[in-house]
This record gives sequence, structure tokens and C-alpha cells, in this order.
Amino acid sequence: MRKIFTRFLNTLFHPHDYFRILGRDRYKSLKIRIVLLDAMISLVPLIIVVTISYFWFQSILKEDFRNQVKWEIENTEQSIEYFVDGKVSALRFLASSYSYEQLSDQKMLNDIFTKFENEFSGLVDLGLIDSNGIQQAYAGPYPLIGKDYSNQEWFNEVIVRNVYVSDVFMGYRRLPHFAIAVKKNCPEKRSFCILRATIDMKILKRFASTINLRENDDAFIINHDGILQTPSQFHGDVLNKFKLPVLIPERGVSVLDLKELNGGPAIFGYVPITNSPWILVAVVKSTPYLRIPKIFRNELLLISILSVFIGVTVTFLMAQTVVNRIRKADQEIEDAMAKTEQASKLASIGRLAAGVAHEINNPLAIINEKAGLMKDILEMSGDLQQNKEKFLGLISAIFDSVNRCSTITHRLLGFARRMEITFEVIDLNDVIKEVIGFLEKEIAFRNIRLELKLKEDLPKIESDKGQLQQVFLNIINNAVDAIEEGGLIEVSTRVKDKNTVLVSIRDTGSGIPKNKLKSIFEPFYSTKEKGEGTGLGLFISYGIMKKLGGIILVESELNKGTTFTVEIPIRAGDGEGGHV
Amino acid sequence: MTVTKILLVDDEVEFVSALSERLRLRNYDAKAVYHAEDAMPTIMKDKPDVVLLDLKMPGIDGIEILKAIKKFDTTIKVIILSGQGDREIADEGIKVGAFDYVMKPVDIGEIITKIEQAKKSR
Repeated sequence: MRKIFTRFLNTLFHPHDYFRILGRDRYKSLKIRIVLLDAMISLVPLIIVVTISYFWFQSILKEDFRNQVKWEIENTEQSIEYFVDGKVSALRFLASSYSYEQLSDQKMLNDIFTKFENEFSGLVDLGLIDSNGIQQAYAGPYPLIGKDYSNQEWFNEVIVRNVYVSDVFMGYRRLPHFAIAVKKNCPEKRSFCILRATIDMKILKRFASTINLRENDDAFIINHDGILQTPSQFHGDVLNKFKLPVLIPERGVSVLDLKELNGGPAIFGYVPITNSPWILVAVVKSTPYLRIPKIFRNELLLISILSVFIGVTVTFLMAQTVVNRIRKADQEIEDAMAKTEQASKLASIGRLAAGVAHEINNPLAIINEKAGLMKDILEMSGDLQQNKEKFLGLISAIFDSVNRCSTITHRLLGFARRMEITFEVIDLNDVIKEVIGFLEKEIAFRNIRLELKLKEDLPKIESDKGQLQQVFLNIINNAVDAIEEGGLIEVSTRVKDKNTVLVSIRDTGSGIPKNKLKSIFEPFYSTKEKGEGTGLGLFISYGIMKKLGGIILVESELNKGTTFTVEIPIRAGDGEGGHV
Repeated sequence: MTVTKILLVDDEVEFVSALSERLRLRNYDAKAVYHAEDAMPTIMKDKPDVVLLDLKMPGIDGIEILKAIKKFDTTIKVIILSGQGDREIADEGIKVGAFDYVMKPVDIGEIITKIEQAKKSR
């Protein structure tokens, strides 16, 4: 990320881009990059917030749903508890209201059963069992008088605990039911009897089904051994073994989240039913909490879309402003650079002026002397005929000098032309020779050896002569400044490939230290004495070569010398436009 | 009255040959050398009264020639032939002992005046 950002900044502010001809494409891609970066900065947090909100809301809904399940289990448990308690109380009331004789009277028991049946929903039968476990009287649909229950577990339990609520069992009837039995003491007989009512299992099933269930949910009752007391939709019929482990709590509802049950998550809740051997169980597989209310979802979506829209619009406008400012700044830099180039050119011309003045002075001085001599001869001897040959020689010398002057002025004019690039077909070797023409006097005075290794059949190139002259002049001038008397400057030309020619300018001067090498193309960087150099020569040259589609390369070794290599495209527009 | 001996030292052959001829037309014993290295031997041989010396010649420092002349004979007067752009070198020459300087292209009247002044000052 950091790397991307740095690269991004580099492309914005890389110093070598001063001269890049800034096309529309570059601004467009810059704009796209700004928009993408800004969109990332503004939209990523939005997406994170929306996502977190969404899942947070979902977890709240799930918690809410769990609480609802818990609450329903609790309610149903209480209903069953009240039901069982009610039945136990009713039986106790019967046992205490009637004597053993009355209850063992079959007719009386039938009467009681008939009355009781209306109030006692699910009641199957009613029986009186004596202390030996023999059913003495029985009211109900089955022929059970005389049945011996003395070996059954519930019989022994009720003797000890006075009240007993049984598990669901099949019994003699082959129908799932459970029994409530109360013990009635008969002190006058020093004995006891048991009043026992059996109740259809369906009543329990009805209670379990009051838990508000959806299609995939299941609510049922098991006993403490895990045997189903009511049929379950997914876990087997009554009296089957329930397979999930149930850790029976002292009291209260336990609700567990099962990650995986028959191919999906489930909420598993259970509670022991007070005063009974049962546990109420609910397995909820439906997930209504996953369906976040439409309103919330729509609002979230609307807010998100609005935010994205506003974000993107603002980003676009911002990017537009930034890019426009950069474009304007670039334009200003380019304008400033054009002015600087012109100024630098004037400075170079100033630098040349001394040399040029010297060069022009010499032929002028010759003209002056030759003309003066002609005047002297005319004034002093007056004999034209005798001096005709001499005069012709003098006039010829005057013409030669005039030609010398005009060559110099032509060169100067070529150099001082306007800045716009004008491509023409030129002979690179001639251009170099002309530049050397400017400098050969100084090179000669400094006793510097100049070697030209110009390749003879160098292809003609399509470039700007004046601009190239300035580049070579700057580089060769630097070479002249860098070397001691007796040093060497070698200028060579050669073909690099079918598209490019090279000009190398090698000097045996002081060289450039490695740490300064990277700065030499920067503006106002100069190693010369104050006032000697403008610090713009190489900077301008670099810019010119970029415009011409070429590049300048530099190699240098301290105290051994420097080689500048200028690569120039043979045809205009073939260049790399590029890199150093 | 003895004829004034003048030696001209300059690498511009056309210039210095014409100038020396004009001086000869004005009855000076003017002689020209075109190479810096010929200057001192000729001076030592001819012992001129005045030397017209170009300070900027290829491969040699004109100031050194000037110093050599002054060392050889302080009475030889040196007038520097200077280009318009070489005022500083001319000034330096004056410091080292040149009598005066003239700027190219030179006016023959001016140069004769200076030669006469130089001769008088001997």
C-alpha cells in the first residue's frame, strides 16, 4: 500500500517530469488514480461500517429469537407443571373426601369417574388399589379389576412418597399414557390404599405443541433417562431414546447453540418440569433472524447507495480540481521553463560573445589594414597601374575576411533562432563541426587536444539543428572547463541501431564524483565558480533532448574524465522521449 | 635621427603583414613574425625599439613573452595588440610592464601616436 502510494506520489512529483510533454492521457490516468485512491479511503470504512452493522443487527435478532424460544419453553413448562399439580390436588381431594368403603364401591367410583372426567381432561381411568397392590375398584374402558400392581415400581414409590407421577408407559392397555397415584391412609384399618388415575399421553403432546413452532422445529418431552415421552418429529416416536445429550440443570431453561444438527445450525433448549419426571425439550432449526427485516435492509441499502453516490461525486469533483490545478501548475512550470531556456540561451550567447568578438575582430582588423594599405599606396605613390596586382591581392584578402565574418554571423543566427522545435533533415557531423567552429579558438588557446571521430556514412537525421547545437555546445563547453591544459576532448559519432545515432563527448578532465552525478541535470546545479556558470546548461540540454525524443547518458570517473553520450532518433517521433 | 625599429608579433598573417607594410610606408623599420616562438630570438637579434605584441596566440601565453622581453631589456617598449573582448588580458599586460595597448581593428594614426610616445619615453 505504502509502495503504491509512494509510486503514486513519484508520478505526481518526479523532477524529471518537468519536461515531459504532458498529454491528455496522463491527466486522465492521474485523475483515475486519484479517484480510485480517494474512493478506497472513503468507501472502505463505509463498507466496513455497513457490514458490521448488518452482522451486529443479525446477532441482536438471533439473541432476541433465543430469548423468545426460552420464554416459550418456560411458559409451556409452567403450564405442564400446573396441569400435573392440578391433577395431583384433585386426586388428593378425592382421596381425603371419600372413605375407603365409598371408593371401593364400584358404582360409587363409576359415579365419581363420570363427574371427574368432565373436569379432568385426558383422564383415561380411575382405580383404587389396596395395600397388597390388587385393584379393588376400577372405572374406565378396560377390564382391569383384580389386576396386581404389587410388583410394579410405581406401587413401591407411592408407598414411600405418598404421591407419584409416572413416566409414560404402555402398560396393559398398549397405549402410551402416564399415571398419577396418591396414597390414602386408613388409620381405622391400620392400612392404606392408593387412588390412581391414568392420563393419555396426548395431553402432554398437546402441551408440547403449544410452543410456537415452524416447519423444521420440534418440541417434545423426555424423561431423565432420555426416553421420549411424547412423539418427536425428527427424533423418533414415543418411548424411543433421544440421542442428544442432555445435562439436566437444577432449574431454569438451558439454551444451547448447535452449529450443526441435521445439516444446519439449531437452537437447543430444555427445562426440567417441576414435580414430574420429565424434561421439556425444543429443537429449533428455523432461522427467522437471518431474514433481517426488509425495512432495515432497504434503509441500509439506501444509505449505502447514497453515501457511495455522494462519495464518488465528491471524489470526482475533487480529482477534477486537483488535476486541473496540477495541469495549471504544469503549464506554469512549462512557461517558466521556456523563459528560463531563453534566459539560459542568452547567457550562453553572452558567454560566446567574447569568443565571437575576438573572431570577428580579427577579420575586421585585416580588412582595416588592407583597406588602409590601399589608401596609403594611393596617397603616397598615386600610381595605380604599377600596383594593380598588389591591389587585387589586397581586395581578395578583404573578401576573404568578409567571408570569415559572414560565416560567423551565420552560425550565430542559427544558434540564436527561436525556441520552437523545427525538424529538418540534417547531417549530424556538420552540426558538430559547426559547434566546434565556435569553440576551436578557445580550445586552441587552452592548448587542449581535440579529436573528432565522426563516422563518415552516418545516416542523415530528422531533428532540430539549432537545439542540437545548443546541447553539444553546452556539453563541450563543460568539457573545456573541466580539463587542464593539454587535456583531450574526443567527439565521436556512430550508429547505435536502425533508429538511433549516438554522439559521445569524452574528456580527460577532473570527472564528477558519484554523489554529485545524480544532480547534474537538476536546474541551477553548478560546480563552477560563482558567476561562471548559470547551472542551467545540462538541465536545458536534458529538456531539449527529451523534446527531440532522445536522451543524455553520462559516465564519469573521478580524475579520469567524463563521457556524455547523446542518443538521437534518426526520424522525428521515433524517440523514447524518456529516461536517464 | 635614427629609424625606429618595430617588431610585430601576431599569428594573423594577413593582418600583421599589411600593418607592417603600412608602417614601413611611414618610414619605420617594421618587421613581422607570425609565430610566438619566433618572437624572442628575433627580439634578441634585432633589439627593436618597440614591439607590437598580440597576447592571445595558440599554444602560448602572451604574458610570458611580455615578461621575457622585459627581462631581456627593460628599454624595449611593448604595445599590446588586443581584441575587443580581451581588455582584461591587456590590463594584465600593462601591470606586467607593457607601455600601452591598442584595440583591433586599429587606427593607423592612433598606433603611430602610441609608437612615438613609447619611443619618447625610452
